[in-house]
Amino acid sequence: MNMNRRQFFRVCSAGLGGSSIALMGFSPNAALAEVRTFKLARATETRNICPYCSVSCGVLIYSTGDKSKNAPAEIIHIEGDPDNPVNRGTLCPKGAGLRDMIQSQNRLKWPEVREAGSSEWKRISWMEAFDRIAKHMKADRDANFVAQNEAGVTVNRWTSTAFLASSAAPNEAGYLTVKTIRALGMTSIDTQARI
Amino acid sequence: MQTSNLAFQPPAEEAAPYLLPDGSTLFAGRAERFAALAGGHSLGDWLAFLGRLSRAQHDALQALPELPLPDAARLAQAKTHAMPPLDASAPPAAWRDALRRIAGQLAADAPAAARRALEALAAADDAWLDRLATGLLAGEAAAEDAAELPFVAAALQVVFTQLAGRLDASALQPLDAAGVCPCCGSAPVASIVRIGSAIANLRYLHCSLCNTEWNVPRAVCTACGGDKDVALHEIEGGGQPVRAETCDSCQSYLKIVYQDKDPQVDPVADDLATLALDLLVDEAGYQRSGPNLLLIGAQGE
Repeated sequence: MNMNRRQFFRVCSAGLGGSSIALMGFSPNAALAEVRTFKLARATETRNICPYCSVSCGVLIYSTGDKSKNAPAEIIHIEGDPDNPVNRGTLCPKGAGLRDMIQSQNRLKWPEVREAGSSEWKRISWMEAFDRIAKHMKADRDANFVAQNEAGVTVNRWTSTAFLASSAAPNEAGYLTVKTIRALGMTSIDTQARI
Repeated sequence: MQTSNLAFQPPAEEAAPYLLPDGSTLFAGRAERFAALAGGHSLGDWLAFLGRLSRAQHDALQALPELPLPDAARLAQAKTHAMPPLDASAPPAAWRDALRRIAGQLAADAPAAARRALEALAAADDAWLDRLATGLLAGEAAAEDAAELPFVAAALQVVFTQLAGRLDASALQPLDAAGVCPCCGSAPVASIVRIGSAIANLRYLHCSLCNTEWNVPRAVCTACGGDKDVALHEIEGGGQPVRAETCDSCQSYLKIVYQDKDPQVDPVADDLATLALDLLVDEAGYQRSGPNLLLIGAQGE
């Protein structure tokens, strides 16, 4: 009987007894009995980019938990991606601590507000946060917008508020950020990617 | 404020995409690894025997005369068509000498069944040996030859390892067919994550026949190239430097060994010392995507 290629590669419990191990005179029985006491542990391996700065180092993320089996995913290890041409497997101290940042108890996961005069942070919804930010921006822009300078030249600038953009944004989001902010007349714009 | 330019330095050496086998140490190192793994192992006798087989491979390789490499026209043709420079379907005749040498060296120290196989091989005519080799290299071996085939494979590894080791690594290129050896076109036995200055933590596939290694990105399926459903399986609490890299897209797996967890790991020896992992991953429904030629006929049915 000839094996096909797929069978040729295969190694399975039912096969060891008729394999070259047994035919050469060695017993696979102890190994077969031992396997019954073993269990498989599974981790997924994923590529990603470190969120901290403009260098954008590649990272490999290892997590346990199988989505199909309803187990909550947990990140168990993060290391530099050796295949990434930017960092070649290395990470700075901040990047090397990424897992602790992700699992930190103090990590901010939703909008919070501390009202004037209060010492407490209060959780608010994303919609409420957007509304409050928009109101603050409009009030400041209405008060400080400069349509013309002393010489009477139209300048349409708003210099009393600044904007700090995300370092994790792609080119397209960066383009839209500048379009939106410049349309409001804001002159001070920077990005976390420079920090 | 005074400013000065940062002294950016390019890496001292580029990571090599291809690592050719070093015949002077490869099989001797594998023999030591087999011997180290055999202690206290449930298949210890078998692993120790394979260690002696690797030692015989080392001796046969040292005794092997320098075989002719493919000529310039053949190399150019392979280059043009992105084909492997070595033709694994046509082993040089010297492989039979290597086999007889290995058989002679091992027979005295082998279990009765293995000794019968070795004596049959030593006495066999060229036609039968060539038939065994052709079937093995085509991946269509006959199950009833399973006792002889690992020795045939060992001899073929010796000649192809010598040939591959003498090729020009800078002339190698990725082939049209994905996931096969750039020197001889054979399937890989396992991956190894290497240590070293330029190649630290890079993954190389290890050829099951000629022991050449070629770089493949990590966290990518070595069979289908997908990166969406790659997972690593290991035996719980096993503490071994070996995992099975599975892919849910193509339902295949191949083992990956980590040199940073144990600098002595060997893709061939550690693969055979972790058969329990194969059995469990096979039960979980994954198909192995490359052979270990020192173990034949473990497919069942």
